Amino acid sequence: MDRYELRRLDYSLSEDHLDLQSAYKQFFKTHCPIETVRAAEPSGFDKNLWERLCAMGATTMALPESCGGDGATLVDLTLVAEEIGRSLAPVPWIDHVCAARLLAGLGALGDETASVAGGEQLAAFDARIDSAQGARLIPTGSIADHIVVRDGDQIVRLTFGTRPAKVDNIGRLPMAWVDPGAADARTVLGQGCDALAKYRRALDEWRLLTAAALVGLVEEAMTIAAEFAKNRYTLGVPISTLQGISHPLANMAITVAGGRNLTRRAAWFLDNEPDARPELAPSAFVFMAEEAAKAATMAVHIQGGLGVSAEAAATAYLVRARGWPLAGGDPGASAKRVAELVAARESSAQVASV
Amino acid sequence: MDFSRVELSDDDEAFRDDARNFLKAQVTAEVRRRDRETGDNFDEGVHVALGAAGYLALEWKSESDGGFSRVRRRIWEQEKRRAHVPWVTWGTTAMVARSVAKFGSAELQNEVLPGVFSGQVRLCLGYTEPEGGSDVATCKTRAVRDGGSWLINGSKMFTTGAHNCQYVFLITNTAPDSPKHQSLTMFLVPLNLPGIEIQGLRTVDGDRTNIVYYSDVRVDDKYRLGEVNAGWTVLREPLNTEHGAVAAAADGLQDTSIMMHQAGSMATAVDKAAARVTQPDPSGRRLLDDQSVAYRLGRSFARMEAALSAPSIYGRVAIAQTMRDISPDLMDILGAASALPFGTDGAADDGSAEYVYRFAPLVGIYGGTLEVFRNMIGQYTLGLGKPNYSAPVKKVS
Repeated sequence: MDRYELRRLDYSLSEDHLDLQSAYKQFFKTHCPIETVRAAEPSGFDKNLWERLCAMGATTMALPESCGGDGATLVDLTLVAEEIGRSLAPVPWIDHVCAARLLAGLGALGDETASVAGGEQLAAFDARIDSAQGARLIPTGSIADHIVVRDGDQIVRLTFGTRPAKVDNIGRLPMAWVDPGAADARTVLGQGCDALAKYRRALDEWRLLTAAALVGLVEEAMTIAAEFAKNRYTLGVPISTLQGISHPLANMAITVAGGRNLTRRAAWFLDNEPDARPELAPSAFVFMAEEAAKAATMAVHIQGGLGVSAEAAATAYLVRARGWPLAGGDPGASAKRVAELVAARESSAQVASV
Repeated sequence: MDFSRVELSDDDEAFRDDARNFLKAQVTAEVRRRDRETGDNFDEGVHVALGAAGYLALEWKSESDGGFSRVRRRIWEQEKRRAHVPWVTWGTTAMVARSVAKFGSAELQNEVLPGVFSGQVRLCLGYTEPEGGSDVATCKTRAVRDGGSWLINGSKMFTTGAHNCQYVFLITNTAPDSPKHQSLTMFLVPLNLPGIEIQGLRTVDGDRTNIVYYSDVRVDDKYRLGEVNAGWTVLREPLNTEHGAVAAAADGLQDTSIMMHQAGSMATAVDKAAARVTQPDPSGRRLLDDQSVAYRLGRSFARMEAALSAPSIYGRVAIAQTMRDISPDLMDILGAASALPFGTDGAADDGSAEYVYRFAPLVGIYGGTLEVFRNMIGQYTLGLGKPNYSAPVKKVS
């Protein structure tokens, strides 16, 4: 690609962006303290919080106006996702909006799925890049009313009379084994290249929003660890003044700054020029999936014996830093997708310049 | 938020085409070959041509003073990179000329600035000392007043470009018993004075820098910049610029962080690797078909784009760190032929990745080490407090 092309590099947020960001920051601060996060761990889902969130318009905003939504941009959605990560909110918002947008794109938000838009019914999807056969783990499978999966070149919507059982998992997600063969109803939503391309777009959006959530998660884990370090003394000085502590914290700040801007730039391109930089969304995900685990581990380490306690907020961040990105399968599959997209572009550029 | 292509007026488009053609004609294969051979990162012919065409003055001056508009400044910056214009000595010249304009007497400004714009006068930095490091305020080079002039004795490391410059922006110590920030005086020392010896030093990336020795160098007081013992006031602004602690531009017409020039070598290496892995070998096999190659390339690309996205001093650290982190992987996936440098028969990527590997250690110390910047992030943005160090030890020698 032409790295010297004259493009703007403006990462700033508009007034509307800032209003949206502060509204959701305030919402989760008020309604999702760490006790709420802990209380929801057995089921992986806080229904009350979800209903409040939906009442705020968090699900309808994500749908196009033609489907009765508010037509928010992906940049808008990354702002919400970042606050979900910061607060570790036990709500299936990312999976739900990605699945709902996919249903909308396939023209499948009909009678049976009409209440998906407002979040009264929950939509889930298989977030893995490589299409699985048979039973597979679905991140929000135990609470979903509709589960969208690929089957060969078909996109199908599954419903179960009895929802699949939740399984324990490190991400504290409402995850379940879902066997498409055992579904009570199976509706084909689309077939062929176009339908599969829409599914791939949903996978990219899931990675984009998960990357944004991990940015918020890392920033909060860093903030908690930094506060601890400022007040913890060794040999008469705060440990925050020791470079063995301050430099890893500075590295987390760098991860947040770079990961956040990359996520927003990736979102902007998907919104405005989807064919120009399709590799940026999976890139943001690959970067944040790796860095979140490192940062959350360091944040626990900085708090030493107090950090490793199961009751410490730090450990709540630690397990989700790993479990959330892993819910979409091996993040390495996204790295390979980045390589394929970039290699295809660079080799055609080379052919063109010969 | 906006990453769109900039819509250019007809005039600006014509400016871009002129600039592109001019630079392409100036930076010939011979210029680039000579640059690699000398490591100068400077070419006098190109530089003087830029001056004669008016580009140096347009770049240096503010828009209100007749310089480039915002959009032309950005076009110019990108076109210079596209053409691989040697850039180091103009960078130091432009920076020091600002201090001359601000702190120099009218006489000194008249002596220096016209030549800066014509390209005949170049300026370099005399900051770091052999026994010092990133702490530029720790300065042993002495300046002692002697009537209407000063006698300077000492030595400076990393005076890059000195052998192509006419003046050095020199930090001296004029009050050895005062606290270090009240002990410094700045001079713009003519490099043709007796007692100055410039010794070349090649660095592992192929560039040339210099050690400069000052023995009883007599400098007229008119070359002093700012007040005696107030050198820190003169230095602060150029140091801030060099640290890259600058706010983002609302119009998006500037680099996201400092060191974007250096980051360009990393982007080139990644993009070249991406093209290379799709080329089939005689048996039709592509490197990309190896899943471990695809994984490492994708991960390297992702990490690079994150570094390119990080603003201000976060980006300054991220770029240098990422160059160090990903260049070994880029070399590995291209195999043994990635060990071959530019211009060598059969080099996998024209030596792009191995160059990033050799360049990365330097990028991590320019304008202060990565530790200095991590300290700044810790202290000023995370509020972690001033770093604690062990008590000073008495040197045993």
